Amino acid sequence: MNNPFGFSPEEVVENTVEIRKKILTTNHNAGQGHTGADLSETDILASLYLRLLRFSKDDPQHPDRDRFILSKGHGVGGLYCTLAQAGLLDSNLLDTYLQFNTKLPGHPVRQKTPFVEVNTGALGHGLALGVGLALAAKKSGNGYLTYVLTGDGELQEGSNWEAAMTAAHYQLDNLIWIVDRNGLQLADCTETIMSLEPLDDKLAAFGMSVHTTNGNDPAEFIATVESLPKDDGKPKAIIAQTTKGKGVSFIEGQPSWHHRIPKGDELPQALEELAC
Amino acid sequence: MPREMNPSKAEKPTRQAFSERMVEYGSIDAEFMVMEADIGGSTFTNKWGAAFPERYFNMGIAEGNMVSAAAGMAADGRTVVASSYGVFLTMRAVESVRTMVCYPNLNVKFLSSHGGVTAAIDGVTHQATEDIGMVTTLPNMQVQQPCDTVSARKLLDLALTTPGPVFTRLMRDPLFEVYSEDTEFRMGGSHVLRQGSDITIATYGDIVFQALEAAAELDKQGVSAEVIDMYCVKPFDTEALVKSLSKTGALLVAENHQRRNGLGYELAAFCLREMPVPFDNLGLRDTFAESGNYYKVLEKYGISANWIVTTAQEVLAKKG
Repeated sequence: MNNPFGFSPEEVVENTVEIRKKILTTNHNAGQGHTGADLSETDILASLYLRLLRFSKDDPQHPDRDRFILSKGHGVGGLYCTLAQAGLLDSNLLDTYLQFNTKLPGHPVRQKTPFVEVNTGALGHGLALGVGLALAAKKSGNGYLTYVLTGDGELQEGSNWEAAMTAAHYQLDNLIWIVDRNGLQLADCTETIMSLEPLDDKLAAFGMSVHTTNGNDPAEFIATVESLPKDDGKPKAIIAQTTKGKGVSFIEGQPSWHHRIPKGDELPQALEELAC
Repeated sequence: MPREMNPSKAEKPTRQAFSERMVEYGSIDAEFMVMEADIGGSTFTNKWGAAFPERYFNMGIAEGNMVSAAAGMAADGRTVVASSYGVFLTMRAVESVRTMVCYPNLNVKFLSSHGGVTAAIDGVTHQATEDIGMVTTLPNMQVQQPCDTVSARKLLDLALTTPGPVFTRLMRDPLFEVYSEDTEFRMGGSHVLRQGSDITIATYGDIVFQALEAAAELDKQGVSAEVIDMYCVKPFDTEALVKSLSKTGALLVAENHQRRNGLGYELAAFCLREMPVPFDNLGLRDTFAESGNYYKVLEKYGISANWIVTTAQEVLAKKG
Protein backbone atom coordinates (compact mmCIF):
# COMPACT_ATOMS: atom_id res chain seq x y z
CA MET A 1 0.00 0.00 0.00
CA ASN A 2 1.29 3.46 -0.96
CA ASN A 3 0.46 7.08 -0.36
CA PRO A 4 -2.25 7.86 -2.91
CA PHE A 5 -0.60 11.18 -3.86
CA GLY A 6 3.15 10.58 -3.61
CA PHE A 7 3.82 14.32 -3.95
CA SER A 8 7.35 15.68 -4.17
CA PRO A 9 8.47 17.97 -1.32
CA GLU A 10 7.98 20.94 -3.66
CA GLU A 11 4.40 19.89 -4.40
CA VAL A 12 3.79 19.44 -0.68
CA VAL A 13 5.03 22.99 -0.05
CA GLU A 14 2.66 24.35 -2.70
CA ASN A 15 -0.21 22.65 -0.93
CA THR A 16 0.79 24.01 2.49
CA VAL A 17 0.09 27.51 1.23
CA GLU A 18 -3.47 26.51 0.35
CA ILE A 19 -3.91 24.64 3.64
CA ARG A 20 -2.81 27.70 5.61
CA LYS A 21 -5.28 29.88 3.70
CA LYS A 22 -8.01 27.39 4.53
CA ILE A 23 -7.03 27.43 8.21
CA LEU A 24 -7.17 31.22 8.45
CA THR A 25 -10.45 31.46 6.57
CA THR A 26 -12.06 28.54 8.40
CA ASN A 27 -11.12 29.85 11.85
CA HIS A 28 -12.21 33.35 10.88
CA ASN A 29 -15.60 32.05 9.72
CA ALA A 30 -16.02 29.77 12.72
CA GLY A 31 -15.26 32.63 15.09
CA GLN A 32 -13.03 30.30 17.09
CA GLY A 33 -10.11 27.96 16.68
CA HIS A 34 -6.50 27.30 17.66
CA THR A 35 -4.83 29.24 14.87
CA GLY A 36 -1.28 29.14 16.23
CA ALA A 37 -1.37 25.38 16.73
CA ASP A 38 -2.97 24.75 13.33
CA LEU A 39 -0.27 26.75 11.50
CA SER A 40 2.54 25.17 13.53
CA GLU A 41 1.68 21.63 12.40
CA THR A 42 0.64 22.37 8.80
CA ASP A 43 3.88 21.27 7.14
CA ILE A 44 3.98 18.05 9.16
CA LEU A 45 0.37 17.16 8.31
CA ALA A 46 0.79 18.01 4.63
CA SER A 47 3.95 15.87 4.45
CA LEU A 48 2.13 12.99 6.09
CA TYR A 49 -1.09 13.00 4.07
CA LEU A 50 0.36 13.99 0.69
CA ARG A 51 3.53 11.93 0.77
CA LEU A 52 4.23 9.64 3.74
CA LEU A 53 1.09 7.90 5.03
CA ARG A 54 0.06 4.78 3.15
CA PHE A 55 -3.72 4.62 2.84
CA SER A 56 -6.63 4.31 0.45
CA LYS A 57 -8.60 7.44 -0.49
CA ASP A 58 -11.68 5.34 -1.15
CA ASP A 59 -11.47 3.07 1.88
CA PRO A 60 -10.60 5.08 5.03
CA GLN A 61 -10.86 1.87 7.09
CA HIS A 62 -8.53 -0.26 4.95
CA PRO A 63 -6.87 -2.64 7.45
CA ASP A 64 -3.38 -2.10 6.02
CA ARG A 65 -3.46 1.69 6.25
CA ASP A 66 -0.92 3.58 8.32
CA ARG A 67 -2.54 5.08 11.41
CA PHE A 68 -2.24 8.74 12.34
CA ILE A 69 -3.19 10.09 15.76
CA LEU A 70 -3.41 13.83 16.41
CA SER A 71 -2.70 13.80 20.12
CA LYS A 72 -2.65 17.60 20.21
CA GLY A 73 -6.35 17.43 19.41
CA HIS A 74 -6.87 21.18 19.67
CA GLY A 75 -4.95 21.42 16.36
CA VAL A 76 -7.84 19.64 14.65
CA GLY A 77 -8.55 22.67 12.42
CA GLY A 78 -5.20 22.05 10.75
CA LEU A 79 -6.12 18.40 10.26
CA TYR A 80 -9.53 19.16 8.71
CA CYS A 81 -7.99 21.70 6.35
CA THR A 82 -5.28 19.23 5.32
CA LEU A 83 -7.88 16.50 4.70
CA ALA A 84 -9.97 18.98 2.69
CA GLN A 85 -6.94 20.06 0.63
CA ALA A 86 -6.22 16.40 -0.11
CA GLY A 87 -9.82 15.85 -1.20
CA LEU A 88 -10.41 13.41 1.66
CA LEU A 89 -13.04 15.66 3.21
CA ASP A 90 -15.69 17.78 1.46
CA SER A 91 -14.34 21.36 1.58
CA ASN A 92 -17.85 22.67 2.15
CA LEU A 93 -17.79 20.97 5.53
CA LEU A 94 -15.16 23.47 6.66
CA ASP A 95 -17.96 26.05 6.84
CA THR A 96 -19.53 23.93 9.59
CA TYR A 97 -16.36 23.76 11.72
CA LEU A 98 -17.33 24.07 15.41
CA GLN A 99 -20.99 24.75 14.53
CA PHE A 100 -23.97 23.02 16.13
CA ASN A 101 -24.23 19.32 15.15
CA THR A 102 -21.14 19.58 12.93
CA LYS A 103 -19.14 16.65 11.65
CA LEU A 104 -16.06 18.74 12.40
CA PRO A 105 -15.99 19.30 16.17
CA GLY A 106 -13.26 21.11 18.11
CA HIS A 107 -11.29 17.95 18.85
CA PRO A 108 -10.99 14.75 16.75
CA VAL A 109 -13.89 12.28 17.07
CA ARG A 110 -13.65 9.03 15.17
CA GLN A 111 -17.39 8.38 14.98
CA LYS A 112 -17.98 11.77 13.32
CA THR A 113 -15.16 12.36 10.86
CA PRO A 114 -13.58 10.05 8.28
CA PHE A 115 -9.83 9.39 8.62
CA VAL A 116 -9.94 10.09 12.37
CA GLU A 117 -8.70 6.95 14.15
CA VAL A 118 -9.26 7.72 17.84
CA ASN A 119 -10.76 10.41 20.05
CA THR A 120 -8.14 12.81 21.33
CA GLY A 121 -7.84 16.27 22.76
CA ALA A 122 -7.57 15.40 26.41
CA LEU A 123 -3.81 15.93 26.28
CA GLY A 124 -1.37 13.15 27.01
CA HIS A 125 -3.38 10.17 25.75
CA GLY A 126 -2.40 10.00 22.07
CA LEU A 127 0.88 8.24 22.59
CA ALA A 128 -0.68 5.49 24.73
CA LEU A 129 -3.42 5.05 22.12
CA GLY A 130 -0.64 4.75 19.54
CA VAL A 131 1.13 2.18 21.68
CA GLY A 132 -2.06 0.09 21.64
CA LEU A 133 -2.31 0.31 17.85
CA ALA A 134 1.38 -0.42 17.30
CA LEU A 135 1.20 -3.36 19.70
CA ALA A 136 -1.86 -4.69 17.87
CA ALA A 137 0.03 -4.44 14.55
CA LYS A 138 2.99 -6.34 15.96
CA LYS A 139 0.79 -9.09 17.35
CA SER A 140 -1.23 -9.51 14.17
CA GLY A 141 1.80 -9.30 11.90
CA ASN A 142 0.31 -6.31 10.10
CA GLY A 143 2.94 -4.01 8.59
CA TYR A 144 1.22 -0.69 9.11
CA LEU A 145 2.99 2.16 10.91
CA THR A 146 1.44 4.25 13.65
CA TYR A 147 2.26 7.98 13.68
CA VAL A 148 1.44 10.10 16.72
CA LEU A 149 1.74 13.89 16.66
CA THR A 150 1.94 15.40 20.13
CA GLY A 151 2.46 18.98 21.11
CA ASP A 152 5.40 19.93 23.28
CA GLY A 153 3.58 21.55 26.21
CA GLU A 154 1.50 18.36 26.21
CA LEU A 155 4.58 16.42 27.32
CA GLN A 156 4.09 17.85 30.81
CA GLU A 157 1.37 15.21 31.16
CA GLY A 158 3.07 12.23 32.82
CA SER A 159 0.99 9.75 30.83
CA ASN A 160 3.26 10.42 27.81
CA TRP A 161 6.19 9.03 29.72
CA GLU A 162 4.28 5.95 30.84
CA ALA A 163 3.48 5.33 27.19
CA ALA A 164 7.09 6.00 26.11
CA MET A 165 8.32 3.47 28.65
CA THR A 166 5.82 0.92 27.32
CA ALA A 167 6.73 1.58 23.67
CA ALA A 168 10.40 0.96 24.37
CA HIS A 169 9.68 -2.09 26.52
CA TYR A 170 7.65 -3.73 23.77
CA GLN A 171 10.21 -2.63 21.14
CA LEU A 172 7.61 -0.85 19.03
CA ASP A 173 9.79 0.17 16.10
CA ASN A 174 6.56 0.58 14.12
CA LEU A 175 5.61 3.62 16.24
CA ILE A 176 6.68 7.09 15.08
CA TRP A 177 6.18 9.82 17.66
CA ILE A 178 6.45 13.35 16.28
CA VAL A 179 6.77 16.23 18.73
CA ASP A 180 5.57 19.58 17.34
CA ARG A 181 8.30 21.47 19.18
CA ASN A 182 7.21 25.08 18.76
CA GLY A 183 8.28 26.01 22.27
CA LEU A 184 4.98 27.59 23.21
CA GLN A 185 1.96 26.47 25.15
CA LEU A 186 -1.25 28.24 26.07
CA ALA A 187 0.09 30.81 28.48
CA ASP A 188 3.76 31.21 27.61
CA CYS A 189 6.96 29.43 26.55
CA THR A 190 7.26 25.78 27.60
CA GLU A 191 10.64 26.54 29.17
CA THR A 192 9.12 29.30 31.30
CA ILE A 193 6.15 27.26 32.49
CA MET A 194 7.59 23.76 32.96
CA SER A 195 10.82 23.19 31.13
CA LEU A 196 11.17 20.19 28.85
CA GLU A 197 14.83 20.49 27.88
CA PRO A 198 17.01 18.60 27.33
CA LEU A 199 14.16 16.91 25.44
CA ASP A 200 16.32 14.83 23.10
CA ASP A 201 18.23 13.35 26.05
CA LYS A 202 15.00 12.57 27.87
CA LEU A 203 13.52 10.81 24.85
CA ALA A 204 16.74 8.87 24.29
CA ALA A 205 16.84 7.88 27.96
CA PHE A 206 13.34 6.45 27.55
CA GLY A 207 14.63 4.19 24.76
CA MET A 208 13.56 6.17 21.71
CA SER A 209 15.53 6.45 18.49
CA VAL A 210 15.64 10.27 18.48
CA HIS A 211 15.79 12.48 15.36
CA THR A 212 15.67 16.26 15.29
CA THR A 213 14.43 18.00 12.15
CA ASN A 214 12.82 21.16 10.83
CA GLY A 215 9.08 20.61 11.16
CA ASN A 216 8.27 23.58 8.98
CA ASP A 217 10.35 22.39 6.03
CA PRO A 218 8.57 19.52 4.25
CA ALA A 219 11.73 18.55 2.33
CA GLU A 220 13.76 18.13 5.50
CA PHE A 221 10.92 16.56 7.46
CA ILE A 222 10.14 14.04 4.70
CA ALA A 223 13.82 13.16 4.33
CA THR A 224 14.03 12.55 8.09
CA VAL A 225 11.01 10.24 8.15
CA GLU A 226 12.04 8.38 5.01
CA SER A 227 15.49 7.69 6.40
CA LEU A 228 14.33 6.41 9.81
CA PRO A 229 16.01 3.15 10.78
CA LYS A 230 13.80 0.10 10.35
CA ASP A 231 13.45 -3.08 12.39
CA ASP A 232 15.84 -1.80 15.05
CA GLY A 233 13.51 -2.59 17.92
CA LYS A 234 13.26 1.06 18.92
CA PRO A 235 10.29 3.40 18.77
CA LYS A 236 11.06 6.58 16.82
CA ALA A 237 10.83 10.06 18.29
CA ILE A 238 11.10 12.99 15.90
CA ILE A 239 11.60 16.40 17.46
CA ALA A 240 10.09 18.58 14.75
CA GLN A 241 11.27 22.11 15.43
CA THR A 242 8.52 24.46 14.41
CA THR A 243 7.30 28.01 14.78
CA LYS A 244 3.87 28.39 16.28
CA GLY A 245 1.71 30.40 13.86
CA LYS A 246 4.16 29.68 11.02
CA GLY A 247 3.56 31.61 7.81
CA VAL A 248 1.97 34.80 9.12
CA SER A 249 4.34 37.37 10.61
CA PHE A 250 2.03 38.78 13.26
CA ILE A 251 0.93 35.33 14.44
CA GLU A 252 4.34 33.65 14.56
CA GLY A 253 5.74 33.02 18.02
CA GLN A 254 2.90 34.76 19.84
CA PRO A 255 1.43 32.78 22.75
CA SER A 256 -1.72 34.91 22.51
CA TRP A 257 -2.48 33.26 19.14
CA HIS A 258 -2.79 29.79 20.69
CA HIS A 259 -6.55 30.23 20.82
CA ARG A 260 -7.09 33.35 18.71
CA ILE A 261 -8.54 33.84 15.24
CA PRO A 262 -7.89 36.46 12.58
CA LYS A 263 -10.42 39.29 12.86
CA GLY A 264 -11.22 42.29 10.69
CA ASP A 265 -8.24 43.37 8.58
CA GLU A 266 -6.10 40.57 9.96
CA LEU A 267 -7.58 38.01 7.59
CA PRO A 268 -6.82 39.82 4.29
CA GLN A 269 -3.39 40.81 5.67
CA ALA A 270 -2.59 37.20 6.54
CA LEU A 271 -3.87 35.84 3.23
CA GLU A 272 -1.81 38.42 1.36
CA GLU A 273 1.35 37.40 3.23
CA LEU A 274 0.76 33.77 2.31
CA ALA A 275 0.21 34.67 -1.36
CA CYS A 276 3.66 36.29 -1.58
CA MET B 1 -32.32 -21.12 38.25
CA PRO B 2 -31.15 -20.16 41.74
CA ARG B 3 -30.48 -22.95 44.17
CA GLU B 4 -33.31 -23.55 46.59
CA MET B 5 -32.38 -21.10 49.32
CA ASN B 6 -29.42 -23.04 50.52
CA PRO B 7 -26.25 -21.29 49.43
CA SER B 8 -23.09 -23.28 50.01
CA LYS B 9 -19.71 -21.94 50.99
CA ALA B 10 -17.72 -20.91 47.93
CA GLU B 11 -14.27 -22.27 47.29
CA LYS B 12 -13.08 -19.37 45.21
CA PRO B 13 -13.67 -15.64 44.90
CA THR B 14 -15.42 -14.18 41.85
CA ARG B 15 -12.15 -12.64 40.61
CA GLN B 16 -10.69 -16.15 40.32
CA ALA B 17 -13.78 -17.73 38.77
CA PHE B 18 -14.02 -14.91 36.19
CA SER B 19 -10.36 -15.17 35.18
CA GLU B 20 -10.42 -18.97 35.03
CA ARG B 21 -13.41 -18.85 32.71
CA MET B 22 -11.50 -16.26 30.65
CA VAL B 23 -8.72 -18.81 30.10
CA GLU B 24 -11.31 -21.34 28.92
CA TYR B 25 -12.86 -18.71 26.66
CA GLY B 26 -9.49 -17.93 25.12
CA SER B 27 -9.81 -21.15 23.16
CA ILE B 28 -13.39 -20.37 22.10
CA ASP B 29 -12.54 -16.84 20.90
CA ALA B 30 -9.03 -16.61 19.47
CA GLU B 31 -9.04 -12.84 18.98
CA PHE B 32 -9.37 -10.98 22.28
CA MET B 33 -6.36 -9.67 24.21
CA VAL B 34 -5.79 -9.17 27.93
CA MET B 35 -3.92 -6.32 29.62
CA GLU B 36 -3.07 -5.91 33.25
CA ALA B 37 -1.24 -3.44 35.46
CA ASP B 38 1.00 -5.84 37.36
CA ILE B 39 -1.48 -7.37 39.78
CA GLY B 40 -2.11 -10.49 37.73
CA GLY B 41 -1.40 -12.68 40.74
CA SER B 42 -4.34 -11.05 42.47
CA THR B 43 -6.76 -10.73 39.54
CA PHE B 44 -5.71 -14.21 38.37
CA THR B 45 -4.94 -12.81 34.92
CA ASN B 46 -1.51 -14.41 35.40
CA LYS B 47 -3.30 -17.68 34.51
CA TRP B 48 -4.21 -16.07 31.20
CA GLY B 49 -0.62 -14.91 30.73
CA ALA B 50 0.61 -18.47 31.20
CA ALA B 51 -1.96 -19.92 28.79
CA PHE B 52 -1.83 -17.21 26.10
CA PRO B 53 1.49 -15.33 26.35
CA GLU B 54 1.04 -13.87 22.85
CA ARG B 55 -2.28 -12.31 23.85
CA TYR B 56 -1.20 -11.00 27.22
CA PHE B 57 0.37 -7.65 28.10
CA ASN B 58 1.59 -6.51 31.48
CA MET B 59 1.50 -2.74 31.00
CA GLY B 60 3.32 -1.99 34.22
CA ILE B 61 1.99 -0.13 37.22
CA ALA B 62 0.35 2.53 35.06
CA GLU B 63 -3.42 2.07 34.83
CA GLY B 64 -4.18 5.14 32.70
CA ASN B 65 -1.55 4.04 30.21
CA MET B 66 -3.05 0.56 30.17
CA VAL B 67 -6.60 1.76 29.48
CA SER B 68 -5.55 4.21 26.73
CA ALA B 69 -3.43 1.51 25.10
CA ALA B 70 -6.39 -0.87 25.36
CA ALA B 71 -8.49 1.78 23.60
CA GLY B 72 -5.87 2.05 20.86
CA MET B 73 -5.86 -1.69 20.39
CA ALA B 74 -9.67 -1.81 20.42
CA ALA B 75 -9.74 1.00 17.82
CA ASP B 76 -8.11 -1.56 15.56
CA GLY B 77 -11.15 -3.81 15.86
CA ARG B 78 -10.08 -6.04 18.72
CA THR B 79 -11.72 -6.80 22.02
CA VAL B 80 -9.39 -6.07 24.93
CA VAL B 81 -9.83 -7.01 28.59
CA ALA B 82 -8.22 -4.38 30.86
CA SER B 83 -7.76 -5.61 34.41
CA SER B 84 -6.89 -3.99 37.70
CA TYR B 85 -8.48 -3.07 41.03
CA GLY B 86 -11.64 -1.02 40.86
CA VAL B 87 -10.22 1.86 42.81
CA PHE B 88 -7.43 2.37 40.27
CA LEU B 89 -9.51 1.71 37.14
CA THR B 90 -12.21 4.16 38.16
CA MET B 91 -10.05 6.85 39.73
CA ARG B 92 -6.57 7.03 38.28
CA ALA B 93 -7.58 5.83 34.81
CA VAL B 94 -11.02 7.40 34.65
CA GLU B 95 -10.31 9.90 31.86
CA SER B 96 -9.01 7.09 29.67
CA VAL B 97 -12.08 5.03 30.55
CA ARG B 98 -14.45 7.89 29.77
CA THR B 99 -12.93 9.69 26.81
CA MET B 100 -10.82 7.05 25.11
CA VAL B 101 -13.10 4.00 25.61
CA CYS B 102 -16.69 5.00 26.39
CA TYR B 103 -16.99 8.01 24.07
CA PRO B 104 -16.07 6.02 20.93
CA ASN B 105 -17.90 2.98 22.41
CA LEU B 106 -14.96 0.61 22.00
CA ASN B 107 -14.83 -3.06 22.95
CA VAL B 108 -12.80 -2.74 26.12
CA LYS B 109 -13.93 -5.03 28.94
CA PHE B 110 -12.92 -4.01 32.44
CA LEU B 111 -12.04 -6.76 34.86
CA SER B 112 -12.32 -4.79 38.08
CA SER B 113 -11.41 -6.60 41.26
CA HIS B 114 -11.64 -5.65 44.94
CA GLY B 115 -15.03 -3.97 44.65
CA GLY B 116 -16.49 -2.44 47.83
CA VAL B 117 -14.92 -3.10 51.21
CA THR B 118 -13.81 -6.64 50.43
CA ALA B 119 -10.24 -5.38 50.29
CA ALA B 120 -10.83 -4.84 53.98
CA ILE B 121 -7.37 -5.66 55.29
CA ASP B 122 -5.75 -3.40 52.69
CA GLY B 123 -7.75 -0.42 53.80
CA VAL B 124 -9.24 2.55 52.01
CA THR B 125 -6.52 2.87 49.34
CA HIS B 126 -7.65 -0.47 47.90
CA GLN B 127 -11.38 -0.35 48.58
CA ALA B 128 -13.46 0.62 45.55
CA THR B 129 -16.43 2.16 47.32
CA GLU B 130 -17.24 4.84 44.71
CA ASP B 131 -16.60 2.78 41.57
CA ILE B 132 -20.24 2.05 40.73
CA GLY B 133 -21.01 5.77 40.86
CA MET B 134 -18.09 6.53 38.57
CA VAL B 135 -18.79 3.94 35.89
CA THR B 136 -22.59 4.03 35.85
CA THR B 137 -22.32 7.77 35.14
CA LEU B 138 -20.40 7.14 31.90
CA PRO B 139 -22.51 6.94 28.72
CA ASN B 140 -22.18 3.65 26.79
CA MET B 141 -20.74 1.84 29.84
CA GLN B 142 -22.50 -1.35 30.96
CA VAL B 143 -21.92 -2.49 34.53
CA GLN B 144 -22.37 -5.92 36.10
CA GLN B 145 -21.36 -7.81 39.23
CA PRO B 146 -21.55 -11.55 39.88
CA CYS B 147 -22.29 -12.88 43.34
CA ASP B 148 -20.85 -16.38 43.01
CA THR B 149 -18.79 -18.72 40.83
CA VAL B 150 -21.54 -19.60 38.36
CA SER B 151 -22.51 -15.99 37.75
CA ALA B 152 -18.86 -14.91 37.52
CA ARG B 153 -18.30 -17.42 34.73
CA LYS B 154 -21.49 -16.46 32.91
CA LEU B 155 -20.79 -12.75 33.18
CA LEU B 156 -17.36 -13.25 31.61
CA ASP B 157 -19.10 -14.73 28.56
CA LEU B 158 -21.61 -11.88 28.61
CA ALA B 159 -18.91 -9.21 28.79
CA LEU B 160 -17.06 -10.66 25.81
CA THR B 161 -20.15 -11.18 23.66
CA THR B 162 -21.86 -7.84 24.35
CA PRO B 163 -20.68 -4.97 22.12
CA GLY B 164 -19.19 -1.88 23.76
CA PRO B 165 -17.50 -1.27 27.09
CA VAL B 166 -18.50 -3.55 29.98
CA PHE B 167 -17.33 -3.10 33.57
CA THR B 168 -17.44 -6.28 35.68
CA ARG B 169 -17.00 -5.72 39.41
CA LEU B 170 -15.39 -8.61 41.23
CA MET B 171 -14.65 -9.49 44.82
CA ARG B 172 -11.55 -10.33 46.76
CA ASP B 173 -12.95 -12.93 49.17
CA PRO B 174 -14.70 -16.24 48.48
CA LEU B 175 -18.37 -15.94 49.41
CA PHE B 176 -21.23 -18.35 48.80
CA GLU B 177 -22.60 -20.27 45.84
CA VAL B 178 -26.07 -19.07 44.96
CA TYR B 179 -26.77 -20.18 41.38
CA SER B 180 -27.02 -23.57 39.74
CA GLU B 181 -25.02 -24.23 36.57
CA ASP B 182 -27.95 -23.94 34.20
CA THR B 183 -28.91 -20.39 35.20
CA GLU B 184 -28.91 -17.94 32.32
CA PHE B 185 -27.77 -14.33 32.49
CA ARG B 186 -28.32 -11.44 30.09
CA MET B 187 -27.26 -7.82 29.82
CA GLY B 188 -29.97 -5.81 31.54
CA GLY B 189 -31.22 -8.84 33.42
CA SER B 190 -31.80 -9.78 37.06
CA HIS B 191 -32.91 -12.80 39.05
CA VAL B 192 -35.52 -13.07 41.77
CA LEU B 193 -33.75 -15.32 44.29
CA ARG B 194 -36.59 -15.47 46.78
CA GLN B 195 -40.24 -14.69 46.23
CA GLY B 196 -41.97 -12.40 48.70
CA SER B 197 -44.98 -10.12 49.02
CA ASP B 198 -44.21 -7.48 51.69
CA ILE B 199 -40.99 -5.79 50.60
CA THR B 200 -38.47 -5.97 47.75
CA ILE B 201 -34.79 -6.16 48.65
CA ALA B 202 -32.71 -5.24 45.58
CA THR B 203 -28.99 -5.93 45.77
CA TYR B 204 -25.98 -7.29 43.87
CA GLY B 205 -22.59 -8.91 44.40
CA ASP B 206 -21.55 -10.01 47.85
CA ILE B 207 -24.58 -8.42 49.50
CA VAL B 208 -26.85 -10.93 47.74
CA PHE B 209 -25.95 -13.44 50.41
CA GLN B 210 -26.53 -10.94 53.21
CA ALA B 211 -29.95 -10.19 51.71
CA LEU B 212 -30.85 -13.89 51.54
CA GLU B 213 -29.90 -14.34 55.19
CA ALA B 214 -31.90 -11.27 56.10
CA ALA B 215 -34.92 -12.55 54.17
CA ALA B 216 -34.79 -15.81 56.12
CA GLU B 217 -34.74 -13.90 59.39
CA LEU B 218 -37.53 -11.59 58.24
CA ASP B 219 -39.58 -14.66 57.44
CA LYS B 220 -39.28 -15.72 61.07
CA GLN B 221 -40.53 -12.26 62.01
CA GLY B 222 -43.57 -12.72 59.78
CA VAL B 223 -42.32 -10.58 56.90
CA SER B 224 -42.28 -11.93 53.35
CA ALA B 225 -39.27 -10.36 51.59
CA GLU B 226 -38.55 -10.70 47.89
CA VAL B 227 -34.83 -10.69 47.02
CA ILE B 228 -33.69 -9.56 43.56
CA ASP B 229 -30.11 -10.00 42.40
CA MET B 230 -29.56 -6.97 40.17
CA TYR B 231 -26.41 -8.54 38.74
CA CYS B 232 -26.65 -6.10 35.86
CA VAL B 233 -26.33 -2.76 37.61
CA LYS B 234 -26.49 -0.78 34.35
CA PRO B 235 -28.78 -1.04 32.51
CA PHE B 236 -30.82 -2.33 35.43
CA ASP B 237 -33.87 -4.53 34.94
CA THR B 238 -36.73 -2.02 35.16
CA GLU B 239 -39.30 -4.61 34.17
CA ALA B 240 -38.37 -6.94 37.02
CA LEU B 241 -38.32 -4.05 39.48
CA VAL B 242 -41.77 -2.82 38.46
CA LYS B 243 -43.14 -6.35 38.62
CA SER B 244 -41.77 -6.88 42.10
CA LEU B 245 -42.80 -3.48 43.46
CA SER B 246 -46.30 -3.92 42.06
CA LYS B 247 -46.54 -6.88 44.39
CA THR B 248 -44.66 -5.61 47.47
CA GLY B 249 -45.03 -1.82 47.34
CA ALA B 250 -41.80 -1.22 49.30
CA LEU B 251 -38.12 -1.16 48.37
CA LEU B 252 -34.85 -1.58 50.24
CA VAL B 253 -31.58 -1.46 48.32
CA ALA B 254 -28.39 -2.79 49.94
CA GLU B 255 -24.97 -2.53 48.33
CA ASN B 256 -21.27 -2.68 49.13
CA HIS B 257 -20.68 0.90 47.97
CA GLN B 258 -21.32 4.46 49.05
CA ARG B 259 -25.06 5.03 49.49
CA ARG B 260 -24.60 8.07 47.26
CA ASN B 261 -24.55 7.38 43.51
CA GLY B 262 -24.93 3.64 43.79
CA LEU B 263 -27.79 1.37 42.69
CA GLY B 264 -29.87 2.74 45.58
CA TYR B 265 -29.87 6.26 44.19
CA GLU B 266 -30.57 4.92 40.72
CA LEU B 267 -33.60 2.90 41.82
CA ALA B 268 -34.83 5.71 44.09
CA ALA B 269 -34.84 8.12 41.16
CA PHE B 270 -36.66 5.56 39.04
CA CYS B 271 -39.30 4.97 41.71
CA LEU B 272 -39.82 8.66 42.31
CA ARG B 273 -40.47 9.06 38.59
CA GLU B 274 -42.51 5.96 37.93
CA MET B 275 -43.97 4.42 41.08
CA PRO B 276 -43.17 6.07 44.44
CA VAL B 277 -42.93 3.52 47.27
CA PRO B 278 -41.54 3.55 50.82
CA PHE B 279 -37.78 3.31 50.33
CA ASP B 280 -34.42 3.16 52.02
CA ASN B 281 -30.92 2.14 51.01
CA LEU B 282 -27.93 0.71 52.81
CA GLY B 283 -24.31 1.38 52.03
CA LEU B 284 -21.46 3.54 53.30
CA ARG B 285 -22.90 6.72 54.77
CA ASP B 286 -20.63 9.37 53.24
CA THR B 287 -17.62 7.89 54.98
CA PHE B 288 -14.47 5.93 54.27
CA ALA B 289 -14.36 2.45 55.78
CA GLU B 290 -11.78 0.76 57.99
CA SER B 291 -9.17 -1.91 57.56
CA GLY B 292 -9.97 -5.24 59.12
CA ASN B 293 -12.10 -8.34 58.94
CA TYR B 294 -14.52 -8.11 56.01
CA TYR B 295 -17.60 -9.19 57.98
CA LYS B 296 -16.84 -6.80 60.82
CA VAL B 297 -16.43 -3.98 58.34
CA LEU B 298 -19.79 -4.80 56.74
CA GLU B 299 -21.42 -4.79 60.16
CA LYS B 300 -19.83 -1.53 61.26
CA TYR B 301 -20.89 0.30 58.11
CA GLY B 302 -24.42 -1.01 57.97
CA ILE B 303 -24.32 -3.38 55.01
CA SER B 304 -24.92 -6.68 56.84
CA ALA B 305 -27.90 -9.03 57.12
CA ASN B 306 -28.69 -7.59 60.57
CA TRP B 307 -28.95 -4.10 59.15
CA ILE B 308 -31.08 -5.28 56.26
CA VAL B 309 -33.55 -6.87 58.70
CA THR B 310 -33.79 -3.76 60.89
CA THR B 311 -34.06 -1.37 57.97
CA ALA B 312 -36.63 -3.54 56.17
CA GLN B 313 -38.85 -3.31 59.24
CA GLU B 314 -38.45 0.47 59.25
CA VAL B 315 -39.42 0.68 55.59
CA LEU B 316 -42.41 -1.56 56.21
CA ALA B 317 -43.51 0.71 59.05
CA LYS B 318 -43.72 3.53 56.50
CA LYS B 319 -46.06 1.51 54.33
CA GLY B 320 -48.90 2.23 56.73
